[in-house]
Amino acid sequence: MKNSLYIVIVGCGRLGSHLANQLSRAGHSVVVIDLNEDTFGDLSPDFSGFRVVGDATRIAVLKEAKVKQADIFFATTHEDNVNLMVAQVALKLFNVKHVLARVFDPRREEVYSQLGIETICPTLVAAEIFLMAVASSRAARGDVRP
Amino acid sequence: MKILLVGGGKTLYFLCQNFVAKGHTVVIINRDQEECVQLARQLSATIICGDGSDALILKEAGAMGADVVLAITPNDQDNLVICQLAALKFGVPRAIALANDPENAEIFEKLGVSAFSITHIVGSLIEQRASMEQIVNLLPVGEGRVNVTEIVLNDESPVVGKLLKDLDLPENALVAVMMRDNKPIVPRGANDLLAGDRVVLITLPENHGPVLRAFTGERI
Amino acid sequence: MEKRPILVVDDEKNIRLTMSQSLEPLELPVQTAVNGEEALRKLREGPFSLVFLDLKMPGIDGMEVLRQIKDNWPKTRVIIITAHGTIESAVEAMKLGAVDFIQKPFSPAEIRELATQVLEREALDEENAVEYVPLIELTKRHISDRGFAAARESVRKAIAADPAQPEAYNLLGVLLEIKGDRLEAQKFYRAALDIDPTFKPALANLDRTTSWNKFGRIDLGLDREGSSPQEERTKKETDEK
Repeated sequence: MKNSLYIVIVGCGRLGSHLANQLSRAGHSVVVIDLNEDTFGDLSPDFSGFRVVGDATRIAVLKEAKVKQADIFFATTHEDNVNLMVAQVALKLFNVKHVLARVFDPRREEVYSQLGIETICPTLVAAEIFLMAVASSRAARGDVRP
Repeated sequence: MKILLVGGGKTLYFLCQNFVAKGHTVVIINRDQEECVQLARQLSATIICGDGSDALILKEAGAMGADVVLAITPNDQDNLVICQLAALKFGVPRAIALANDPENAEIFEKLGVSAFSITHIVGSLIEQRASMEQIVNLLPVGEGRVNVTEIVLNDESPVVGKLLKDLDLPENALVAVMMRDNKPIVPRGANDLLAGDRVVLITLPENHGPVLRAFTGERI
Repeated sequence: MEKRPILVVDDEKNIRLTMSQSLEPLELPVQTAVNGEEALRKLREGPFSLVFLDLKMPGIDGMEVLRQIKDNWPKTRVIIITAHGTIESAVEAMKLGAVDFIQKPFSPAEIRELATQVLEREALDEENAVEYVPLIELTKRHISDRGFAAARESVRKAIAADPAQPEAYNLLGVLLEIKGDRLEAQKFYRAALDIDPTFKPALANLDRTTSWNKFGRIDLGLDREGSSPQEERTKKETDEK
């Protein structure tokens, strides 16, 4: 497949494995990195990508996963600091074009957008959607002002 | 100076003691409730119990007015984030991270965070001591970036009999001081070098090998 | 242009799938085999231009398959698929005649490029049995000129010409080191030393890379005294394309 991308995902938890399964099914070349071999069990049986067991905060592990060749890099561990560190390494040292990190703590998120790290803060994202629900409910009621 | 120490264990304990003895103000951030209680009892420092990579905790610890933040937890990713938050959000002028994995020291530096690696320093020292008796690396200065080394010149040394100005030293190397017959000499170009002289060299890691070789004539 | 198919031999379905998909743009037929026995059966049935072979499979050991391919179909080029940390088997395989190796995980682009390189350029000099020494010198020149892809090719040919000499393995180590993979590079330096424990360049490179004080030149071998030194801490990671 000419359009298949090389995607590295750090963390095979619920988010990571979900992404890995979808992307692999879509025909992309996916590499998942996790500390714990057991978590790879969350990958679906038809997962056709690679698994690397190791600590992604060690550059040796990122090299093993050949991050340098990645088109996309997702940091989805449950630890903000790990995500922030590996995202920076991928972006600044391996020059990966598209790097995304999940960061739970909104206060950390704002500092890192300064550094050019693209982050997803689930709390804020959910908050926005909830707030939109309020806005649309008010619109339905005929409120003019937001 | 006001110093923020983030981490735990013996290293933190003795570092704190050392800084306090020197007259600095120390604030410790530690995650473990019990350890915090212990530290509060034993040290004359302010102890904040919490996650040093949480901006609120850093704020509580007075990061705004800190001169130095030293992050020495066992987790490199935490040390990195602590230092970046301290520098970017609180403007702390010196934020230094311990890189437990020695490969991360260089990585942190590339990401703009000063870092040091204990493995590297100790490994270096052992290696240098093991290789040559006449060389003593006095201190890794500037977080391991400058070497101060003392050499005793013997008869085989290629520089013996030469004048300092005739030595073909690589750039950024300096002969800081010499001891001859226990008298210190700050050498100038016209000074000669004799067997038995103890020479103190200042070098950067890049030229450390060649400079040492120039003085001792041996492959390290 | 090459019309014979490529054979992918690997017991893991995802590898067979990934590789087939990656090789699709090359417009060459790709066949797969799940183990050594099936691979040999398919080879008996028809010629292949290139075989990607996993060394670790159940049943007939990959190394044995390689041996049989080299014995029965010597013109068929074999590329070994290795897992991380198993460079030693890659070295053994190259001594047996594999033309190159690729480490998991790999990107589709990597597979395509390697296959293309091996097929297109090596076809050209099937007739010129170039000798070991000139190939080594060529490799060193490429390295000094920072033509790493070309260096990789010529060192591969050097190993094919004479797999029992240390220089080529040392140079392969150098290429890996320049790419930033110090650990794997060290294994190649050790492979060179296995062949000749007194081979100084490999000793120097191994010493230097295992030392805490990482200064010094990368040692390419003799006859290079006057050449410009390679800086150990090469900040830029050059793309090996």
